[in-house]
Amino acid sequence: MLVFAASDKGGTGRSVTSSNVAYRRALAGDDVCYLDFDFGSPTAAAVFDVPGASRGVAAGGLHSHLQGRHTEPHRIDVWAESEHEELRYRPTGSGRLVLVPGDRDGGEFAIGKDTVRRCVNLFLQLESEFDVVVVDLSAGRSYAVDMVLEATAQPELARVLSRWLVFHRWTHQHVIAAHGLVFGERGIVAGGVERGHDKGALRDSIRFVRAAVPDPESPLWAHVPLAQSEWMRKCDRDLTELAAELDLGYARLLGKIPLEPVLQWREQLITDEDVLASKVAGMPTRQALEELAAALVDEEAWERQ
Amino acid sequence: MTPPDPGPQTVLCGEVRTSVLRTSEALTARTATQLLNLRPDEHVLLSERPNLRVVSPHQLTGVDCRLPALTGGRPRAVGTVAVRAVLTEGRVLQTSAFARLVPGVGSHRKPWGHYLLRPGDIEPLARHQARDVVEGFLASAPLPGGVLNPGSIAERLLDEVLRHQLLDQRAPFKSGRTRLRWTALPAAEGAQASIERFTVAADGLRTVALRTPSADPSAVAALCEDLALHDWLLTTLLALVERSRLGSGDGEAVLAALRPLVDHLLHLWMPGARVPDALAGVWETLERRPGFSRQWQSLVQRIRDQVALRTVPLSRPVMARS
Amino acid sequence: MTEQIFRETTAEPRTQSVPLAHVSLELGHLYMEDFEEGADRLREHFARVKPWADAAHAAAAVMSGGGRARVSTCFLVDDYFTQFSSPRELVPLLLGEAKAAGLEIDYLARESACAQADGVALAAAVEGRLVESPAEGSDGTRPGARETGWLSNGQRSPAAGTAEAMGRVVPWTPPSEAGARRHSIFVDVELWSADPRRTWSCPFLASVWQLARLGLLRHRGNPVLEPRGLRPDQALPETWSALPPLLRLNDSAAPFAAYRTTSVLPSRFLPIEHAVRVILGQVDADSGALRQVAERAAGEGIQVPAEIADRAAYVFYPGP
Ligand SMILES: Nc1ncnc2c1ncn2[C@@H]1O[C@H](COP(=O)(O)OP(=O)(O)OP(=O)(O)O)[C@@H](O)[C@H]1O
Ligand SMILES: [Mg+2]
Repeated sequence: MLVFAASDKGGTGRSVTSSNVAYRRALAGDDVCYLDFDFGSPTAAAVFDVPGASRGVAAGGLHSHLQGRHTEPHRIDVWAESEHEELRYRPTGSGRLVLVPGDRDGGEFAIGKDTVRRCVNLFLQLESEFDVVVVDLSAGRSYAVDMVLEATAQPELARVLSRWLVFHRWTHQHVIAAHGLVFGERGIVAGGVERGHDKGALRDSIRFVRAAVPDPESPLWAHVPLAQSEWMRKCDRDLTELAAELDLGYARLLGKIPLEPVLQWREQLITDEDVLASKVAGMPTRQALEELAAALVDEEAWERQ
Repeated sequence: MTPPDPGPQTVLCGEVRTSVLRTSEALTARTATQLLNLRPDEHVLLSERPNLRVVSPHQLTGVDCRLPALTGGRPRAVGTVAVRAVLTEGRVLQTSAFARLVPGVGSHRKPWGHYLLRPGDIEPLARHQARDVVEGFLASAPLPGGVLNPGSIAERLLDEVLRHQLLDQRAPFKSGRTRLRWTALPAAEGAQASIERFTVAADGLRTVALRTPSADPSAVAALCEDLALHDWLLTTLLALVERSRLGSGDGEAVLAALRPLVDHLLHLWMPGARVPDALAGVWETLERRPGFSRQWQSLVQRIRDQVALRTVPLSRPVMARS
Repeated sequence: MTEQIFRETTAEPRTQSVPLAHVSLELGHLYMEDFEEGADRLREHFARVKPWADAAHAAAAVMSGGGRARVSTCFLVDDYFTQFSSPRELVPLLLGEAKAAGLEIDYLARESACAQADGVALAAAVEGRLVESPAEGSDGTRPGARETGWLSNGQRSPAAGTAEAMGRVVPWTPPSEAGARRHSIFVDVELWSADPRRTWSCPFLASVWQLARLGLLRHRGNPVLEPRGLRPDQALPETWSALPPLLRLNDSAAPFAAYRTTSVLPSRFLPIEHAVRVILGQVDADSGALRQVAERAAGEGIQVPAEIADRAAYVFYPGP
């Protein structure tokens, strides 16, 4: 399965959340591969704590691969190379967790026929090797989004399952922006249809994920004045209404990750150690990530319309 | 201590990529022939005994690049690399790129037609030591750009064949690709073919160093394709058995994981089936140590035991298929 | 009939031979534009070709060592890019005008035969045999002409500008010809276009035409584009597709294929034939066919250049 992680705006939590989903799928026994397609800022490796790769790799990354400068993109076995205490040993029963990073100092590049062909080859190869292939795309309308829409429209990928996760924060602007990215005139659906995708099928393969959602009932806000918490509740209700209006509501919602103080400070994976032993991260966050990871492969969640 | 330079020698070198064919059903001889019809005016080779093996015609790729070398400078060399695709039992696809480094040394690149008349030959334009080229080639680090790299040529063809519209892109199980890089130096006068090393590097690259009496690149490449095929089978089976959590409790899941192995892989083991006598010694060595077939047999036995154990009492519908 | 496209690995590869003349002399190449100019144009063409044809015969006699030179003549009519007239109308006109100039056309070929003849896709087969001359530094990683549809005689100029956002600016560098003497004459040849379906370019078909005339085309070991005559009772057909791809017009003609070719063409064909040289220089021709030609030539004591492109000679007479 190919999973495309997209967002209209930068800094929504797309990379951190999708990395955590990848990690959770691997814990559940799937072989998982994480591709950094955020070409303008290839920093996904930082979340996995891989030394020397936090800003991409010195040679053999995805930028140069897709531009045809080498045939084998560098792979990082997270279980073997991560410096994170909890990631250094592969838990029994878990699947592989492989990171395919970008090139250090790589930038966005124009997409041609050759780039798309290489991208199709890469997807086909990884899909035949891994259960889940997570592709972290650049924010907004980017060449990366164009390229994967073009690639997945090719006949070779027609029978490969593709799913889209669109991340957004829980604010008025973010909800409207996420709607635009998916349903807008130059959005994913329109762009996909232009490239030969079936409109209905593409739309049904897209789900939204709300990241860093403040929960008015959370103990975090237990000490705010009543008026303020009333106001927060009202905002939350209004946003829920807006989301429903814009077709970002329940049917298209795959997960909701609470605002997590640990993540506000540091981009990282939320391990069980963080939640259970050191208790720096909140149980609800772990729970939400786990549910999102499960929903990703839950057919029922994808049949809702 | 380095042995004395034996003077100019022919070096054969190549790389084999092995992958499962991404199709739900194994291809028949007929479709396999269509798939590998890479040069429409040439024959696809097919042999049905002892198993179905289909070989594409060769393609040539021109190169003008540096030779790998561990210690010395990297001499420039010009020529062509031959590449072909091989499909075993309609299920396992290999692409194999190889070339012969001829011992002579020119100093200037000749007109291209000169090289076209010597398909698969590469002519160095500066002096080099065969040993040094072999060591440089087998060093496991990825070969830098601009250096002779049959692997990337094989990879390109593999991707091309795997995208063919005859394939439904549905492999019966998840599996990776393997890479086997090889070299062959001439064996001593009158000596049999022998294997000097077979290593597995951390990044999955297999390297094989051979000594062969025959300098027929196609025959030596065929031997290496056979080694790569069986190495891939073993690697893939091990990975799949591990994934199936053979020892664990969930019988249904274990069976579902093992089933495709029984259907698609177990019958493919036939080491050395087509290797000519002159090269057969290589397999004999490998069978003694590390003992490829021993490991395969014991894995197969475990799988069969598990399948038998978990099916007998309940006779699940999944086993109804013959 | 199902065609056998595979061979048992144990079976011996075999390549059938074709008969060979000393020289294949091309007397012209007819396009619709020429035809529309009327019979006068043809008459003028053959009148201009005649002295060069005589010279070609004389040269062939030298080549054959003073013996009787085997020279066959051929003529190519376009029915691939545009179809015009009909064999029934055109062929008698053509033969008549040639005869008036003192020339005899032994073989008449249709241009579309270079793309596809008798069910065999010749152009696609030749495309599969392209082996590009590598620029210095090529390790074989780059996509080739088969993917891009372009073939050059050297190294292209890299696109100027930046490849990646905020990346280094790549300065312009000139293209270069492989093996150039001091200065380059860089040529980039379009082999086909794909809109809406694949159309082979004129120089590419002309390259197939040269390979056919040099006896170097085979299909799985068998000869292709073999000449066929019409039965005595058979009239010239109304449509080009009903005409044999390579029609024998003279029963006592020397073989169609030859060790060398000579083509007499108006000078506007110069760039096309330059492109043909670029292509022929990068074709990995059927090794069995090459060997047969070499062996037969050696048997007859005839020199044949090793490079295919060097086996083709041209006369470009002035004029459009
Ligand atoms: N659930 C959360 N709670 C609090 N902070 C979060 C949460 N999820 C992510 N963050 C933080 O938000 C910031 C942006 O997250 P991230 O880098 O994942 O966003 P992104 O969408 O990938 O951004 P970019 O487009 O720049 O790549 C990070 O500092 C991250 O730690
Ligand atoms: Mg990010």
